[in-house]
Amino acid sequence: MATGVALAIETSCDDTAAAVVDATWRVRSSVIESSIDQHREFGGVVPELAGRAHLTTVGPVVRRALDDAGLDPRAPAIDVVAVTAGPGLVGSLLIGLSAAKAYSLAWDVPFVGVNHLEGHLFAPLLERPDLQWPIVTLLVSGGHSMIVVQRGPGEHVVVGETIDDAAGEAYDKVARWLGLAYPGGPEIDRLARQGTGGALKLPVSMTGDDFDLSFSGLKTAVVRATEKHPEVALADVAASFQDAVAEQLLRKLRRVLEAYGEVRGVALAGGVAANSALRRGVEALADEFAIPSLLPSLAMCTDNAAMIGAAGLHRFAHDGPSDLSLSARPNWSLSEVS
Amino acid sequence: MAYQRVCASDAATVEAGAALAALLRPGDVVLLTGPLGAGKTTFVKGVARALGVVERVTSPTFTMVRQHAAHNDQGIATLHHADVYRVDSIAEVRDLDLGELVEEDAVALVEWGELAAAVFGREVLTLDFVLDEGDEETRRIVVGGAIDAARASALARWSD
Repeated sequence: MATGVALAIETSCDDTAAAVVDATWRVRSSVIESSIDQHREFGGVVPELAGRAHLTTVGPVVRRALDDAGLDPRAPAIDVVAVTAGPGLVGSLLIGLSAAKAYSLAWDVPFVGVNHLEGHLFAPLLERPDLQWPIVTLLVSGGHSMIVVQRGPGEHVVVGETIDDAAGEAYDKVARWLGLAYPGGPEIDRLARQGTGGALKLPVSMTGDDFDLSFSGLKTAVVRATEKHPEVALADVAASFQDAVAEQLLRKLRRVLEAYGEVRGVALAGGVAANSALRRGVEALADEFAIPSLLPSLAMCTDNAAMIGAAGLHRFAHDGPSDLSLSARPNWSLSEVS
Repeated sequence: MAYQRVCASDAATVEAGAALAALLRPGDVVLLTGPLGAGKTTFVKGVARALGVVERVTSPTFTMVRQHAAHNDQGIATLHHADVYRVDSIAEVRDLDLGELVEEDAVALVEWGELAAAVFGREVLTLDFVLDEGDEETRRIVVGGAIDAARASALARWSD
């Protein structure tokens, strides 16, 4: 069982985040600086490669997280500094990691490197600390798509994952193809609600018996089908694509629920967990299997440091602190963590 | 002369990648260009298989670069698979330092390499993926760039 209080730092992609979390999974503070907020508050446009942006924001963000938690920013009463060590953009990861090491040395508290994906798996716990294990989690984001069976905190097996593109990546690429704004997920979701699914004929991919996912073929199919049928309205294209993504994800999720008996909850995690079609589908699936659906709030789906703090407290209790020589691991797979 | 190969399916695209892998030498940089869904990642899967990469090759768009350990008798120990799709400017490509990736015993395959082409000081091999009008599955891969004599004869065999 994890004990203590963690300050957590997350800089794996383009958001800078810090949070204070305790071992009862209570989030005492959580601060996220998206590039939009940075633009407003720090007066600088944030490049896609966010390393330099993290460098300027990580200090103020950590300070605000400590302030919000009522801790002394010069000598906070914390037990561990948790930080995302991967996977992610190497330049971004290094900023958070270096900051965490510096705080660790300055305050003389241990630090622990956390796998970002394991962080996402802890997100449901922060909002539902009473959840019953085991749970099946569909983790879908811009960089990852996988189905994970969790038998307890930190006990996870990846039972299926994408063989090519991530679901969120397919959203972004299709959105760009359709001339929509980045990130593509919210834009397509918004349009899809005004359109009719099935208006564009798209193939059903990954009908096999395994639990793996694939979105590259669907992405290509949208490109080809819209070229051939330019008359189909944008909203209908969005709805057709969104339905096809949700259908594949839900079909595989159903297969996992059928294969693993005694599952006591089904969770969504990652940025694509904000998608309305997917949330509705998972709720319906949970009802059908008579288990709770664990749908994190939007703030907890997307990248945040609170989930890193929760995973960090668990890793610290389980494996002890990380060595100061720990480096960024841009391709760190979840299967390497257990 | 133009070196090119027509691939009528995803499987044929993987095979084209596997066949091209035999031409690669340590230090090579290969830029892959072409529209969305043209088969670039599929092709890289074939290259990786032929170079003895054991792990699954997936799209590197999110982390921009993935490293894969390779096992072959071509002296290539690492395959760097990069994707600059999310990158919007030359400055950001420079930030990625893709040139630094390629050491003595590595090769780099860079998807959406149009921007990267301006940054690489060294000679690079380019693969342009062209989609066939009307046919959903068929794509044509056109090879260009740094083609020396030794590679030219191998490429002639690789071509249709």
